[in-house]
Amino acid sequence: MNSVGEACTDMKREYDQCFNRWFAEKFLKGEGSGDPCTDLFKRYQQCVQKAIKEKEIPIEGLEFMGHGKEKPENSS
Amino acid sequence: MGRAQRRGGQRGASWTPHFLHLLFHSHPWDTVIKAAMRKYPNPMNPSVVGVDVLERAVDCRGRLHSLRLLSTEWGLPGLVTTILGTSRTLTYIKERSVVDPLEKKMELCSTNITLRNLVSVNERLVYAPHPEHPEKTVLTQEAVISVEGTGLGRYLESLMASTISSNARKGWAAIEWVIQHSDSTVS
Repeated sequence: MNSVGEACTDMKREYDQCFNRWFAEKFLKGEGSGDPCTDLFKRYQQCVQKAIKEKEIPIEGLEFMGHGKEKPENSS
Repeated sequence: MGRAQRRGGQRGASWTPHFLHLLFHSHPWDTVIKAAMRKYPNPMNPSVVGVDVLERAVDCRGRLHSLRLLSTEWGLPGLVTTILGTSRTLTYIKERSVVDPLEKKMELCSTNITLRNLVSVNERLVYAPHPEHPEKTVLTQEAVISVEGTGLGRYLESLMASTISSNARKGWAAIEWVIQHSDSTVS
């Protein structure tokens, strides 16, 4: 699978491999406290944010827990 | 595999499903969720040409939140792209998901972030263990289409309406395909 930024595809695949392994072997088994993919994610993110700006993709105004806004409780 | 229904509803601030699908996977929840995380690429969804994770974090209750950007190439008819005045046929979808490993529930919400001046397609998927058969998984999939204006918007609505139902089944088939084709090393 490709990234929205052509230059980011290799980083994306490396991150995805790390994440999918952690997700299946740790997170789903209730051991999700650590995150071995942080560095990979940071590098990948920098590339993607640049690509989004260059392609003028309208994804501004991210409302996400990582941006300091508390996610509301899911109603269901 | 499941059942589907279509009903009308008010547009506006309240969530009113226009399309509702109830689908079943004969696999346990963990297996389905692992496949859902690795859904793309798959042969049933060739229009998804790019997937990126924009944000991801675990909250204080141990739930994994993700925000993803999907790039889709619908191959819009030439007439449509002429009217839209663009040669760009890539559209983008924003997808949020929450995975609760304790409650065994995965919820995904997606909406298009391009073409919004014409149409918005909001979808919500919830994966949970079958209440009576824990070796199976239930998928509840809802979609709401909201159209702005008339003309091209109406055309896009009818185009999307005819594909939403088949896409729900394609999505189901995509998960089944990922499950069948996953090997022991997760990638």
